[in-house]
Amino acid sequence: MRSNANGAEQQRRLISDVAAPADALTRLVAHGDQQFEAFFERVESVELLPKGAPNRVRLRKEQGLAVRKIENGRSRLAAADTISGPAFAACCDRVAGTARSIGTAPPRIRTGRWPALRLAEIEQAESRLTRAVNRRRVGFPMEITARRHRRQVQVIRSRVAAPPQFEEYFSLQVTTPWGVWGGLLPSLAAEDLDPVALCLVDRLRSRSLPPERPGRGVIVLGPNAAAVLLHEVVAHALEADTLALSGSPDQVVGLRLGGPELDVVDDPRSAPLACKRSSDDEGTAAISRWLLRRGRVRQPLADLAWAERYPSMIPGAGRRASRHRLPGPRTTHLELLPGAIPERELFAEAAGGLYIGEFERGNLDPFDGRCVLRAPCGRRIGATGPSDHTGPVEIRSRAVDLLAAVAAVGDRPLAGGAGWCAKDGALLPVWARCPSVRLEGLEVAD
Amino acid sequence: MKFARLPGTRSLRLALGAVRERTGAPGAELYVKVGNTRRIEIDPWMTPLPVDPDDLDTQVSILDERGWALRAGGANRALFLADSGPLPEPNGWRRLSRHSLRPGTLRLPSPASGTSPGTAPSPSADLAEHDTDDEETAGRALLHGVLRRLGDRMPEARLIRGRLDTGASAAVLASTTGVTGRTALRLATVELDFAASRDGRQGHSRLYRAASNLQMLSADSIASEIAERLTLATAPAPPFLPAGEVAVSPALGCYLLALLAPLLQGRDGWRRLRELGAGRPLGPPQLQIVDDGALDAGWMSAAHDDEGVPTRAVALVRDGEPGEPLLSWEDDGWSGFAAAGCRRRSGWRALPELCHSHLHIGGGAEAPESIRTGIVHGCYLLDRAHDGRCHATFEPSTNGSAGSLGEGRFEVDAIGLVIRRGTVLGEAPRVRLTGTVRQLLQGIRAIGDDLRFLPAPGAIGAPTLLLTGLQVEAIA
Repeated sequence: MRSNANGAEQQRRLISDVAAPADALTRLVAHGDQQFEAFFERVESVELLPKGAPNRVRLRKEQGLAVRKIENGRSRLAAADTISGPAFAACCDRVAGTARSIGTAPPRIRTGRWPALRLAEIEQAESRLTRAVNRRRVGFPMEITARRHRRQVQVIRSRVAAPPQFEEYFSLQVTTPWGVWGGLLPSLAAEDLDPVALCLVDRLRSRSLPPERPGRGVIVLGPNAAAVLLHEVVAHALEADTLALSGSPDQVVGLRLGGPELDVVDDPRSAPLACKRSSDDEGTAAISRWLLRRGRVRQPLADLAWAERYPSMIPGAGRRASRHRLPGPRTTHLELLPGAIPERELFAEAAGGLYIGEFERGNLDPFDGRCVLRAPCGRRIGATGPSDHTGPVEIRSRAVDLLAAVAAVGDRPLAGGAGWCAKDGALLPVWARCPSVRLEGLEVAD
Repeated sequence: MKFARLPGTRSLRLALGAVRERTGAPGAELYVKVGNTRRIEIDPWMTPLPVDPDDLDTQVSILDERGWALRAGGANRALFLADSGPLPEPNGWRRLSRHSLRPGTLRLPSPASGTSPGTAPSPSADLAEHDTDDEETAGRALLHGVLRRLGDRMPEARLIRGRLDTGASAAVLASTTGVTGRTALRLATVELDFAASRDGRQGHSRLYRAASNLQMLSADSIASEIAERLTLATAPAPPFLPAGEVAVSPALGCYLLALLAPLLQGRDGWRRLRELGAGRPLGPPQLQIVDDGALDAGWMSAAHDDEGVPTRAVALVRDGEPGEPLLSWEDDGWSGFAAAGCRRRSGWRALPELCHSHLHIGGGAEAPESIRTGIVHGCYLLDRAHDGRCHATFEPSTNGSAGSLGEGRFEVDAIGLVIRRGTVLGEAPRVRLTGTVRQLLQGIRAIGDDLRFLPAPGAIGAPTLLLTGLQVEAIA
């Protein structure tokens, strides 16, 4: 049912006629080094707070546009909180620096209708999650805030208009007496809520245990935790703006970052169903981008501005948190390709090691390459796999050491590790699909 | 550039009437906000520095923001709806119906509960229009000035990221209870991130400063602050750390106060403050902790808050003793205390929430220099260490809420100087200052007269403080 609904919504255009603004943009170009782009955005967020909260249902809708001039890698952007011909013309004037830059009459821009408001699935989230927790023979007080996020984007660059993009996903915040769990989900169906229940039960069982200090033994990361690790030490590390802080971004191509079992791809086209993207937030076609091929850097993440500065870089990874922000190179959907080792064999000869199912937070220092990953809990590895629960775990290590420690990659990739990436304060949803990985001989700093 | 026009209160009343008619809601409130911002960003690849500030390589964003929020409902059913763009015409509310209200509650302030009927004057209301083109030129000159002066002082300093925002906003609200109000604000913020390497030691410095207008930000003092911090951050670790007195700069004092800020609000905040003293004074007699939404020359100064309730100074700690709680209009009269306007919105998309506006430790009488030179055996801590710890932990109470302040511990990683008998013995690139909240307040021995505000969010202010009884240790 949901896929049909999304399909219909994906077909719905944000603006009805792209020719008029496209034509207007061509009039702005003064010389060949200039590119102009119009970005139209519509965002809707529906929030359902726990029972008893004031204004329990909160609906936020917004739409607006931005016009950007790119010249020699530099951007000049003007944005407005409304979609209309006069607003578009005013933004064009601001980036061009002249009045009536696109002529005397602003183009006619009409917007389509908002997608229908559906509340039922959000209202059912609480009972579904409670049932998933109860199936594990436990029960505890939970305050659940569920949100549905929808975003429509249309980018027009000169006479070229990329296909309109539509994203729909959900976020949950679950408050328990021992902490808060938060994350993104592609849907609120039972199969997506079940892993959330597992995380909540793990946190319940480890709630009063002291922090665990990982030694040099084996650490097995579940798919969610492996996704966060790769997000920090591969995706962030290979964003062109991060690389530029320590040198020329294109010089890392060919550099060995890990063993031959590491094949990492960023592919927005294979993100979960309602979050797939065929083009980025600059209207460039999204590609399946090999970040690491057999452990070596193949293609860093780049947007138009960075690709203009370094011609060997391929754009298509430009993302913007909103029309008010300039785009930057970011990951959308990270995939670690499966290895040949069956999942259960990852735990072989790992007795006494540590299993980490999820990291709640990760951070990479772009200058010295130090990475901090925090897990709310872990599990000791016994003879047959994960057994006793442990308290919180913090891994501090250099990114290169973390990647070098990956000794084996499981054969069963799972969607997981989705969350908000907050680099530079720009909040973006990121998705991943990873198998479990085994780390050996990891140097852990204090 | 001109502001988008705000609707008049008559338009808002007409819209409120239409909303009530469509939804049957007993009460409703409309809040409309417009603003413009000019953002100048500079990245490492945009340097080296040109001679002329106008040639400085930057990325510029000119942002017009406009939106509104509606709250409607009553005791059992409520609605919150926010949208961008201009406020709909009275006949533009047709999509609303009685079914738009969902289970929930809505209470709105009324003039009788301490709010001012009619339009309340705002000290910044005359700032509704300004020339942002001139501000772009001035902004470039400021960033250029910072880079040039820092280059002179510390050639090895490398820019990581710089961002300057200048802007203005104005808002109007009206409710069916008769509350109306208008506010206007101007703000300039600069966020700069630098790194340096000396003798193989890496150091970082991040500076975030705000002022009511761009002209109040000085390139010279910003460059001087960054150079000072980078010098400390790249210094070798001291052979020993004296654990006596600790003087903290206004910047670090602001971070310490910011850790406590969320725990000092509302009825719970008052309970925690009372328990913290446990029958003894909270701090020395000269200690004042005040939140003042109407602070003279404050960045966020306004005659009323974002629900139209008049603002005023609230002395949370007065003469070292608990003063009065920061209460919203809903708690007006609780334990005999009066409410103050203290519910703010982070933007038009947000609901008003209880929070401070200009929370600060009142300035004392001592010159900061005399506090620093008066240290017999201790440290002068200048700022937070980049990416270091800065948090407070409180044992949760049995009902899951934050527990008592007295048991709370804080940890802040800082950069500073080792001082003996007023003489600087060496630098401390990273030390960890720890203690309990009770020790922090009761250990205050002197308060400087150099009160300074930092954006935190909101505004948090502190002068130089001399502290005793805290733990200081060097960390790698």
